[in-house]
Amino acid sequence: MILEELAFLALAAIAVGTALLALLSRELVHTILWVSVFFVALAGLYFLLSAPFLGVLQLGVYAGAVTILLLFGVMVTRKRIFAREVATGIGPVPLGLAVLAIIVLSVVAASLPQPATPVRSYDVAQLSATLFGVDGAWLIVLGLVMLSALSGAIYLVREGRE
Amino acid sequence: MTELSVASLLFLSATLLAIGLFGILTRRNFILLLIAVEIGMNAAILNFVYFAGFSGTSHGLSGQAIAVVLVGLAATEVAVGLAIVLALNRQRGSINIGDATTLKL
Repeated sequence: MILEELAFLALAAIAVGTALLALLSRELVHTILWVSVFFVALAGLYFLLSAPFLGVLQLGVYAGAVTILLLFGVMVTRKRIFAREVATGIGPVPLGLAVLAIIVLSVVAASLPQPATPVRSYDVAQLSATLFGVDGAWLIVLGLVMLSALSGAIYLVREGRE
Repeated sequence: MTELSVASLLFLSATLLAIGLFGILTRRNFILLLIAVEIGMNAAILNFVYFAGFSGTSHGLSGQAIAVVLVGLAATEVAVGLAIVLALNRQRGSINIGDATTLKL
């Protein structure tokens, strides 16, 4: 399927490019906008890997909620929204190490054997049976983690705290 | 039915993890640090989603279920991180991690 490979290549290029731009951009607001594009590209990848539920979740949670939370954090902590960050470049040694790592990784990755053809039948009933199996233990644990995180966050920012 | 090779996907997620690590190691702003952690976490979630297709039909989609839980955890982590940012900003007047020298807020 040449079309799917092209789509994968395009989405992967967008993801890597926007992730790099997000971390190298010197304005925090631009960083957050780039990272939201990154999240959308990953959602596209999930749709391509036939995981539409995950794709929608990625769009809603990451591209929606996390982006807005980060923007909110910038708005609350800054006097001027568009202030520039101190530039931090990549030194020659880390850059060389990164290029070396990429070469080694691509050699190793190219020699990996291709396993049996993946089972890609997406079935939302199967996913929900897995999620809610064992009396819904996973979701209950996730809910408890979120609850404790919520109370911890409220404790951290409450009024009248020294 | 996608026939994407394991190599290309592993390569993509390793690259994303490396970018995230680079951000964690070099950025000094707390919000940028959170964003870098998110990028690294997304690389892990991508692996779970991809390899969910390889497990047999009996535990069909547990990889995707793990990914659902991980997305929830990542959102929680951003919320707690921003609470720390607000507390830090209120107390130290900056969100530079170089200024956060003690654990006591």
